[in-house]
Amino acid sequence: MGALLTVLAPISIVNAIVLRIGRGMGIIAIVLMVVAILIQVVARYVFNNALPWPDEAARFCMMWMTGLMAPTAFRRGGFVALDMISGFLNSRFAALLGLLLLVISLMILIVAVQIGYNEVTGFGGRFATASLYLPTFDGWFRVPRSWMMLSLLVGVILLLSVNVELILRSIVTFFGGGAKLPDLDLSELAAGSD
Amino acid sequence: MLIWFLPLFLLFLLIGLPVFFGLLAAPGLLLWLNGQEKDITLLYRNVYNGMDSFPLMAIPFFMLAGELMNKGGITIRLVQFSQALMGHLRGGLAQVNVLSSILFAGLSGSAVADTSALGSMLIPAMEKEGYTRRFAAAITAASSVIGPIIPPSGIMIIYAYVMGESVAALFLAGIVPGILVGVGLMVMIRVTADRYDLPAAKRVAFDGVELGNLEKWVSFALVRLNIGLLIWVIAPLPETAGLMTWVTFLGALAVAHALMLALRTQVSSEFRTICKRAIVPLQTPVLILGGILGGVFTPTEAAAVAVAYALFVAFFVLRTMSLRDLPDILSRAGLTSAVVLLLVGAAMAFKTVVSLSYAPQILADYILTLSENPLILLFLINLLLFIVGMFLDAGPAIIILGPILAPIFTDLGVDSIHFAIIMSVNLTVGLATPPMGLVLFVAAAVSKEKVETIAKAILPFLAVEVAVIFLITYVPAISMTIPRLTGFAN
Repeated sequence: MGALLTVLAPISIVNAIVLRIGRGMGIIAIVLMVVAILIQVVARYVFNNALPWPDEAARFCMMWMTGLMAPTAFRRGGFVALDMISGFLNSRFAALLGLLLLVISLMILIVAVQIGYNEVTGFGGRFATASLYLPTFDGWFRVPRSWMMLSLLVGVILLLSVNVELILRSIVTFFGGGAKLPDLDLSELAAGSD
Repeated sequence: MLIWFLPLFLLFLLIGLPVFFGLLAAPGLLLWLNGQEKDITLLYRNVYNGMDSFPLMAIPFFMLAGELMNKGGITIRLVQFSQALMGHLRGGLAQVNVLSSILFAGLSGSAVADTSALGSMLIPAMEKEGYTRRFAAAITAASSVIGPIIPPSGIMIIYAYVMGESVAALFLAGIVPGILVGVGLMVMIRVTADRYDLPAAKRVAFDGVELGNLEKWVSFALVRLNIGLLIWVIAPLPETAGLMTWVTFLGALAVAHALMLALRTQVSSEFRTICKRAIVPLQTPVLILGGILGGVFTPTEAAAVAVAYALFVAFFVLRTMSLRDLPDILSRAGLTSAVVLLLVGAAMAFKTVVSLSYAPQILADYILTLSENPLILLFLINLLLFIVGMFLDAGPAIIILGPILAPIFTDLGVDSIHFAIIMSVNLTVGLATPPMGLVLFVAAAVSKEKVETIAKAILPFLAVEVAVIFLITYVPAISMTIPRLTGFAN
């Protein structure tokens, strides 16, 4: 138990810090999304100019917002699931079932990281975005598509990291050490689409 | 073999695997067993491509606008406005609860937000007036399902995107069914008023409310602009151009102003003040629907404009928010949107496997052995959706069942928009059905009443909602008239 808690503590701290930074960047991404779409509307009606970049810029931000913020929601138990069966089981079996589900999730995430890495570094990632440019000292730099594709890979890696933490927590709980677990940041989520 | 992904997915779902992972695990496992490893890469690509969408961006924007409005203190204004209109009736505060839900639906589109915002204000007020706590919680939960039916609606954006429908058409198709649910609940309150000895409330219960200077002028301008525009659009005026267009528009504004002056003498000053205080928040649905219908904005742009409007209202007109509140609001909206977007991405990947497995065709063949009459099949599908809604939230249920069921019924001749509304309304009502209805739990948390007690008290209201579901199912005109009149459906 002590060894498990020793392994869990640094993972928990790193996850808390990284996800906090992710949430901050996600917040900036939402603001930029709103600004980009408003610029699109204003440019179209006020300046009679249909800009090509706001649509892609907003999607770029949305992908990063999702990749950076979804792991926090996962850590806070915000992923939709039915918990009927675990409600009928005693706490030990419920913990075991929870562990099994996390192991299934882990396997999916490991496969996703492998595919995601190949996608970002592969053929599809070599193309450039259609309309996104960054100013550099040498002129305009066209943003590569891989920068956008990286958002999902980063999201999956962060989900994997959270998943490992949750598995360790689940094992500790299974062996009756739930009270010794470090606290999770369990702030409320918003209302959702329902 | 691929057809087994459906039972496998249900098994994963039942044992409690998060829907996002279940949507990927079931088809992924079978593709792997089938030796189609390359198609697993396709699943990943479809998750990415499924999320990378301009129309989908409306989801975080509408969530953000709803959060801003909610935190910006508009709930109290809507409740006061509803009370000014309906508070004098038998079961006044219960009627106010339903009307507030209808109005709130135009701003937020979330049943959970509705229950939490209106419940925390109205349940204690109703208890104080002599209603039982379980009745107050039950009517709050029952009326909150109107939120995702009346536009803007998160689940309709999801449905439209996953099934390739028009968001605007679904928004328009949801208006009458949403109002119908509200009217049905109001009738039920009136019918049961004697049995439960429900009291009437004061028409205007919040005496001494004030209006800020800026808000006064903004509401003055908005109400005249809206009525003027409406007159200008619907009046049989000859086609004009240039200066004459402005002249006719100014004429319409003058008529609107005269109309308001005439109405002014008919009502008390408190009533007027409370109505004026509701104008600024209620402009949001007008802006969204007016913008989309007028061809000014796409739904995504309308959502972004709604965010800008909500910010303007909260910071400058109502002055109920400070910059310090923003990170929390943005974070909450972002976190929930991220979960929904991932789910939609996974649903798009799932949909590909649904098509590859010929599941809709196989299911359609099976369903057609039960009956070939679309009316009977619609009845059966409503039963199925109702049962699913008892256990699963509306968004994930739409994501899972939409790609499987919609093609079957459109092939049987049911209009795709009509089917979307049947499905959305049915699954939304499921949010208030025991044992897993999300809003029941929220109402229980807000009211401190047991879920089981609320689940019993809500039954008469659920009966009304089920009746409305069947009405919507068998009278397509209820959902299809507005989209057809506005040219968004055939």
